[in-house]
Amino acid sequence: MKKILLIFSVLSLLIFIRPALGLNSNKSAENITTSVSVEQNNQIEEVNSYNGAFEGIKQFYNYTGFANATSGNLIMIIIGIIFIFLGIKYDYEPLLLIPIGIGVILGNIPFVAGNQTGIYETGSVLNYLYFGVVKGIYPPLIFLGIGAMTDFSSLIANPKLMLLGAAAQIGVFATFLGALYLGFNLPEAGAIGIIGGADGPTAIFLSSKLANGINILPDGTTVKNLIGPIAIAAYSYMALVPVIQPPIMRLLISKKDRKIRMKPPRAVSQKEKMIFPVAALILTTFISPSSLPLLGMLFFGNLLKESGRTERLADTARTKLIDIVTILLGVTVGASTQADIFITKDSLLIFGLGAISFVIATMGGLLFAKLMNLFLKGDNKINPLIGAAGVSAVPDSARVVHTEGLKSDPHNYLLMHAMAPNVSGVIGSAIAAGIILSFLG
Amino acid sequence: MMFLPLFTDQISEGYVILITGLIIVFSALILLSLFFKYALPIMLYIYKVITRRKDKKITEISLKSDRNFTGEIAAAIGAAVHMYMNEQHDHESAILTIKQVKKTYSPWSSKIYGTHNRL
Repeated sequence: MKKILLIFSVLSLLIFIRPALGLNSNKSAENITTSVSVEQNNQIEEVNSYNGAFEGIKQFYNYTGFANATSGNLIMIIIGIIFIFLGIKYDYEPLLLIPIGIGVILGNIPFVAGNQTGIYETGSVLNYLYFGVVKGIYPPLIFLGIGAMTDFSSLIANPKLMLLGAAAQIGVFATFLGALYLGFNLPEAGAIGIIGGADGPTAIFLSSKLANGINILPDGTTVKNLIGPIAIAAYSYMALVPVIQPPIMRLLISKKDRKIRMKPPRAVSQKEKMIFPVAALILTTFISPSSLPLLGMLFFGNLLKESGRTERLADTARTKLIDIVTILLGVTVGASTQADIFITKDSLLIFGLGAISFVIATMGGLLFAKLMNLFLKGDNKINPLIGAAGVSAVPDSARVVHTEGLKSDPHNYLLMHAMAPNVSGVIGSAIAAGIILSFLG
Repeated sequence: MMFLPLFTDQISEGYVILITGLIIVFSALILLSLFFKYALPIMLYIYKVITRRKDKKITEISLKSDRNFTGEIAAAIGAAVHMYMNEQHDHESAILTIKQVKKTYSPWSSKIYGTHNRL
């Protein structure tokens, strides 16, 4: 093995040195005019071939990432590595951060345009995978899996908690308005607003429909492609829910209110669980037909789970299928952050707006829960903390509510109660997405 | 000045979307919660009323569908199941030696252990 390496390195050294020698001999040949012409011809030919080799190497170099790298590419690659590091080292949503992180690296390897390499070049493999994002195919499939995972029984037991899921959608519309004031046009603002829904698939779905870089506005300009920034913002804030929400909870909810104990939810019969997806599907999609792809798949998945006859299908939907789609979605969304499209002022604004929308959504949920408490009496009172779970971010925000409740009363278990606004937040943000889509699509 | 009207237009349209959107989201979820609070229990009650008739005594249950199922058939099935369960013994493993129990002791670096217990 060592011998082979030695021979190889000697050969490569020779290859690199010989052109230099050849060039030197060329100069000497020019100086000595009396040399034999035939010999000279041979030498020139040789020199030409060396030059050709040099040209080839040069051309090859021009095709490599080293020649084409821009500072933006390097920054994004570092961000991708940080994502992977966070996912592996701190177990921070690894199922999302690792595919997205590797996607960010994939999307930012510098290349020469026109060879069907990049995600935005038609015909490239990545572009075909990205098709599922651009056409909004992946998000409904994710929703199918979520539906097959979710247990709606706490919501059926206590339907009034559904209003908390609606209240948190204030964040969506407030951000929408904020984006308008910052100078985004209507469809872009709509897509940015949905970050407040705290639902990754919904955000991708809506931005792929509204801010996809293809649609043409009434005044003749094309909308910007904001899928990458919006998706990254939505997913990163979802991962940051445990950081963003607790301070707001402590700010808005008094210590006394935080200790309110809720009576345990009643048992829900299987019949009710089976009727829920069908009835909810019909009711919600009649009101907001544009959210049909999302809500249809969500409730379809839930029916698969609850019917008791299609356990096989439900099992596939909540394990294999959602895994496959998550892999594809993560990598392609990551890869869509190609530096020349991603590093813009707009992306920064979107990140800022995303943070604000999360705060507003959380506040909306909490304040509405307090408002509801004014009308509820006795042990029907709800713990206002669960309002924060109205931003979807299933199941993280419910978990945050639970731990926050435990901090003020170590025997107050809120997880089950918080799941109700949590899942209704998913339904609410899908309806909100449908409304925005029907207005602006 | 040319752009100002357009700009304000967008904002006002934004407010329209904001208000109608919120109303629709709220109404949808209120409708859903009302349905599950009131309509569903009524529906379930009606379903119960429709499906539940007078409780029958066991003697009143007709045996129409079971007419062909005679005691002989039951006996035959019972015998078959019994025989099948008995025969399970025949398919047991015939090797009845005591299995070697490996000690949990594993000195991974011991030479002697390595030579005696080849994997």
